[in-house]
Amino acid sequence: MTFAYFPGCKIAHHLPGHGQSVEAVCARLDLTLVKPEFSCCGYPIRHESRDASVYSALRNLALAESLGCDLMTPCKCCYGSFQQARHQISVDENLKFRMKNQLDEEGLPMPENVRVRHFLQVMDANLDAVARAVSRPLRIKVACHYGCHALRPENITHFDDPLAPTIFERLVAAIGATPMNWELRLECCGYPLRGRDERISDLLMAKKVSSARASGADVMATACTYCQLQFGREGSFSAVLFPQLLGLALGLAPGDLGLADADPSWFENT
Amino acid sequence: MDFFSIGLALACVSAACGIVWRVWKWHARGKALAGSSALRPFSLAMGGLTDLFLLRRTWRLGALRWSGHMLLVLGFLPLVFLHAMDGVITRPLFAEYEPTLDPWQFLRNFFGLVSLSGLSFLLLNRVKKLRALSLLQDWALLATLGALIVSGFFLESLKIMSEGDFTRMADDYFPEAEGEELLALKTYWAAENGVRFSVILPTTPELMERGTELHEDRCAGCHSPTSSAFVSRSLPLPSAMAGQGRGVFWHLHVGLAFLGLALLPWGKFFHPVATSLNLLARGGSQSSRSGASPLPRGLGLDACTRCGQCSLHCSVAPIHRVIGNADILPMDKLSDLRRYLDGRLSPVRASLLTEGSHICTECLRCTEVCSAGIDLQELWMASKQALAKAGRAGVDGEIRKSTASEWARELSSQHLGSVGISGAGLADRAESFWGCVQCTTCTGVCPVVAVSEDPSRDLDLTPQQIMNLLRMGLKKQTLGARMVWSCTTCYKCQEHCPQGVPVADILYELRQLGAEVLRKKEGRE
Repeated sequence: MTFAYFPGCKIAHHLPGHGQSVEAVCARLDLTLVKPEFSCCGYPIRHESRDASVYSALRNLALAESLGCDLMTPCKCCYGSFQQARHQISVDENLKFRMKNQLDEEGLPMPENVRVRHFLQVMDANLDAVARAVSRPLRIKVACHYGCHALRPENITHFDDPLAPTIFERLVAAIGATPMNWELRLECCGYPLRGRDERISDLLMAKKVSSARASGADVMATACTYCQLQFGREGSFSAVLFPQLLGLALGLAPGDLGLADADPSWFENT
Repeated sequence: MDFFSIGLALACVSAACGIVWRVWKWHARGKALAGSSALRPFSLAMGGLTDLFLLRRTWRLGALRWSGHMLLVLGFLPLVFLHAMDGVITRPLFAEYEPTLDPWQFLRNFFGLVSLSGLSFLLLNRVKKLRALSLLQDWALLATLGALIVSGFFLESLKIMSEGDFTRMADDYFPEAEGEELLALKTYWAAENGVRFSVILPTTPELMERGTELHEDRCAGCHSPTSSAFVSRSLPLPSAMAGQGRGVFWHLHVGLAFLGLALLPWGKFFHPVATSLNLLARGGSQSSRSGASPLPRGLGLDACTRCGQCSLHCSVAPIHRVIGNADILPMDKLSDLRRYLDGRLSPVRASLLTEGSHICTECLRCTEVCSAGIDLQELWMASKQALAKAGRAGVDGEIRKSTASEWARELSSQHLGSVGISGAGLADRAESFWGCVQCTTCTGVCPVVAVSEDPSRDLDLTPQQIMNLLRMGLKKQTLGARMVWSCTTCYKCQEHCPQGVPVADILYELRQLGAEVLRKKEGRE
């Protein structure tokens, strides 16, 4: 299976381990990733301009469509931005017309058929293959952090049940770990307020972390670049990217997953 | 004092003063960006040398520009050292040196041709890919070099055909020549070396034979056959140009060389110096290192060659296509950042720079593609902080400078309209709120409200209060509310609303409207 791999902007400099682990896991599972030169998904600019946000998203979708494969991103915010853009042009004819003109200027088609997949969805679609490939089940307790922009609004994102999602727990169970039930698993990480309202951002993060810790989990798992950047700031409780956990379960070396200097408190348990 | 000495002196003064100024600016601008000052010595690693001598970073982005640049450097540098500076380099090094002897005469033409072919590749590259991004200085550098080389060929060609030069040389080196001898020598030089005499010369074999002997005896020690000046000799210039043209082209050629030297420290003309140093200082690294010390940071700010690759590959270039602020793109943002650090940026331009700075997603791509090896990522992160410190923190920061009621007062006299031409207009449409029964579910599920001890103090309004005000058409009362700007966009309100009110989408729209209001306030549409 081949996907147009959309890492999103923050991975290259701010979270290279995310990209490294996604690529390593996909290689192990025989998923081919093609890497055209994508641009920003449009998520950050949505605060300032709807047109700029939708155009940024559609341009990438058009690139993926011209490659003839579905787009896969490991970031929930990128995922949400693509789904939002598709929704916006489906409900606003004028917007669609403007976008079509803008795409024409770059010689790109209006994307019609390309599907947007999150990394978790791709793994879930291959759940049997993933479970079979696990060579080193991780006997740890994991608090799955869902991330907002893929989950809600469900009528636009089509990710999972927005009130009782199960995809993340299913995958964590497939690698031999125990998913914990915790109260705030569907709440916001607080990253969107970084640089805007640091105080509330800190409060949101602290509240989530204490809820995750109270669940008895060894570690919190994320599946979004922004969420991981947020929890990566917190020293007292570890958060790890799901592709990194999956990579360990598949027997890949920590160094190949960007985990060379991982926090040992949960790592040693694996 | 003649043209040559005055010109050379002026050019040297301009170059020297300019270079001192540029280097001082590296320090000043680097310091203005604050940050840590942990001194990191320049690492002269192999990587830096490879980047410099093989133009490795340029190679990664296409063969056309690399070949052009390589040819230009390989052709032009020998001309600078062996030809332009022959008095201080070539003559002392090579006892036999004469500019009219081979291999020098041949090499001058060869290197000139190599330079010209390189220049034409670069011109083609710029016309094909970079026309929209180019400024006067980009074309000026290409034009100056091109004119310098072409005028050199013209000058040599006119010297070759000049009767005056022949007469002067004959007077100086063969003063005792008799009429017949001079005629024979002229015959030889006209036939073999392309001198164009104003009188028609007889071409008997005897005269040619005598002329050849005299040439071997008197001239050949300093003159290789002009056919080895294979470019200049084959230029089809009219004989009429030889008289006046020689002087004109000498002044043109020498003048252009002085102009190039004088302009060296200005704008892009300085890139051979600044970019080379920067490539060495970066030691081949393509990643970014935070907290550079002032001098390398200032050098990086100055090392741009305006090759345009960063802007062509920029991750937020699509946003630039929609919004149209040139400072979204790295190349223009860098030059405006320099102006800002020098205190030379107008308030409107500074707001454009701020917007560009905040739209940047720090994706590292410009740093990876930069053929000058500038650590742009580090510059963007540091300048974002420096701008915020100077009170330029983007839309969000500007809105937070006033309270919700201050914004409501300021906007009360304005016609806000819906969100430009591009908004969905949710906040203005009665249908958006028809279902709202003020059940406070949106407020109840909001994580931001939940972490606030006193929502009316921290947030001004709760989500359901905002919906209520909008329903009553009081949009101006909501625009500056902290709740709008501290929304985390988690969409819980919208997902949980039993009546299907698009609460989070409406808050997004209010922020988009806020951005538009600010754009107008800052004097741009």
